[in-house]
Amino acid sequence: MAETTTAPLWPFHTEPEFIEVDGLRTAYRRDGAGEPVLFLHGAGQTRRWLPFHQALAERVELLAPEHPGFGDTPLTPEVDRIDDVVLHYDALVRAFGWERFHLVGHSLGGFLAAEFAVYYPERVKSLTLVTAPGLRVPGHPMADVFRMTPEEADGLLFNGHAAEYAEYLEEGDPGEALIHGYQEMTMLARLHFNPRYDVKLDHRLARVTAPALLVAAEDDRLIPGAHMERWAELLPNGRLEVLTGDRHPTGHLPHVTEPRKLATTIADFVAAQAGA
Amino acid sequence: MRDIEFFVLHDGEYPFVPHNDEIGQWSRTNFISLPTEFYDGPSARRMLDDFLDTFVLAEKLGFDGVLHSEQHNGPIGLSGSGLTLSAYIAAVTSNIKIAAVGPIMNAYQSPIRLAEEVALVDQLSNGRLVLGLPMGTGMQYHSYGNMNPAFARERWNEAHELLIAAMTRPGPFDFQGKHFHVPYVNLWPRPVQAPHPPIFIPAAGSRETLELTAKHRYTYQAVLNPRAALKRNCDLFRELCEQNGYEADPRQISVNLFVHVAETDEQARREVEPHIMWLMQNFFRSTFQDSFPPGHVSLRSLRGMVDGGYRSKPPAEMTWDDLVRERWIVVGSPETVAAGIEEIVDELGAGRVCLSANNGTEPLWMIHKSLTLFAEQVLPRFRPKGAAPTWAREPQPIPRTRAELAVRSQPRRQPQAEIEGVGIVETLTAHVPELRRAVRDRLDA
Repeated sequence: MAETTTAPLWPFHTEPEFIEVDGLRTAYRRDGAGEPVLFLHGAGQTRRWLPFHQALAERVELLAPEHPGFGDTPLTPEVDRIDDVVLHYDALVRAFGWERFHLVGHSLGGFLAAEFAVYYPERVKSLTLVTAPGLRVPGHPMADVFRMTPEEADGLLFNGHAAEYAEYLEEGDPGEALIHGYQEMTMLARLHFNPRYDVKLDHRLARVTAPALLVAAEDDRLIPGAHMERWAELLPNGRLEVLTGDRHPTGHLPHVTEPRKLATTIADFVAAQAGA
Repeated sequence: MRDIEFFVLHDGEYPFVPHNDEIGQWSRTNFISLPTEFYDGPSARRMLDDFLDTFVLAEKLGFDGVLHSEQHNGPIGLSGSGLTLSAYIAAVTSNIKIAAVGPIMNAYQSPIRLAEEVALVDQLSNGRLVLGLPMGTGMQYHSYGNMNPAFARERWNEAHELLIAAMTRPGPFDFQGKHFHVPYVNLWPRPVQAPHPPIFIPAAGSRETLELTAKHRYTYQAVLNPRAALKRNCDLFRELCEQNGYEADPRQISVNLFVHVAETDEQARREVEPHIMWLMQNFFRSTFQDSFPPGHVSLRSLRGMVDGGYRSKPPAEMTWDDLVRERWIVVGSPETVAAGIEEIVDELGAGRVCLSANNGTEPLWMIHKSLTLFAEQVLPRFRPKGAAPTWAREPQPIPRTRAELAVRSQPRRQPQAEIEGVGIVETLTAHVPELRRAVRDRLDA
């Protein structure tokens, strides 16, 4: 990780590096050595290098960009659909000279990772999705992130344990945080408001023959566990693994509540597929 | 002499809902997710009845217009289709202006369908339609399936461009937008008002909306702002009109007020206070996330709100004194109400006032009393002496009798048909033996 020259704005905050991708100044953080892993983040918890990143970077070469409209990557009218984001990440990995790599995504990032893998299956050495939406699973509706108050969101994301993770929730000046959060939610809405899944994936995921790991939580109150089971059914080489919590049952944010355990799970899977 | 146009506003609320201290058991608010177990059919029909009768009453009393809103998926308003309701009002009234606010454009799959409905209602009403084009509250975006708040503004802007083009440009033409590609825009029938029905834009005060309203010379319909913000918005609006090269007409500023008139100030408050407080506590109650789903406001407007330009207090927390001070309500004897409205229209430079008829839950008999007192004792003070409603003073956009219409008719073609053994005849006369004759040869003969 590059040396941080300015004081952190909140816990885990670091200044990102930037790379120009198709004209968009894209923020990213990178550290570690070994198998190349592109990590796509979920909505929220941006502008941070978390203990999870650190733990994973101890085992792999980790590249963690911020999606257009998230973190320090600006919102741009050119990117307002899932396929725009897929093309953006194609351009980004080309810019880094990566040919084939391991793709990992949490939540929204998992959805985007799956879409990337559909378009570029030959580039993906392995695919790991952690508590990811993206599939239509009748009878198992997701919680509505677009209507939640921040308190409700914290309740569902941390299963009532938000107070134990207070440092993850600090984000500086409340007014600025509200505006920044609104911008990120606007980008999320572009991609995900309606519909909140891609029905095409039911058919298209057959294209993704790379080994795939589906990391489910014990008690995900945002995206029911049935969604992860469905990913495992649809991905030809998918394997479902439920990550258990040491302090309390895991929820939607295992990278926050079980950072080292999740990093180990991913790194072990990546290592096993290194020859792929 | 002031010359103010008065519209009677009714949203068609279904009021038989749990109060805000207990509603949380079933739904966050009354918007979009109150279970239909609270829907009682006969009660809803009674409410619709009062809603519809209010519009008929308003015409008889001599108001200039009626105004109703479009609400979706809940008890907030029982009209989910502003133009359907307007078609009904057109049939049960004769002269009064009918302001449909909305249609919510983004709820339409295509603005072509909207243009057709607007034109048809303008026809059915003999050019009495006033078209309101709200963005739709944020809540509505959760419950329609074809609306994404992240694209609300850009899609609204494009729909507006296409709607106006459909009503004003000769057809057919090809429209190529990001959201709409229509190879054949070709509107039949067309509105009777030229170039199109007057347009109201309801706005909480975002600069983008005021700019658009000024640019197109539409009417800015000011909704639910604190007194100081409202004044600022009206001044800004006039300034934006000047930047567009003209002086704003007072009719371009319309202010919404909760009004109730009774014999005395005390009696007026006694009558209306429960209704007003019910409305504020229950029907204006929403969360930030519901009101402003992502993208529904621009980041610039959001910054303005964060810096304090929106509301000092949520409506649900406003007291009677707050409401009086912020001048959301004007309640009292005819003298008091006239003085209150005078002060407001003078300060804002407004030429139109929309009066809430039912203030939430007032029954029809109480609406009748207050509106009658208003019409007889307040309204005349805001018109030139002895003047009739504006609809009786303004030129008719289209004649109403067949005699007049026939004189003005200049069709480019008469309907013709080819009859075997006769040739091409004119169908409107060919049933008469001596007129059943070929009027011309076939062009391709």
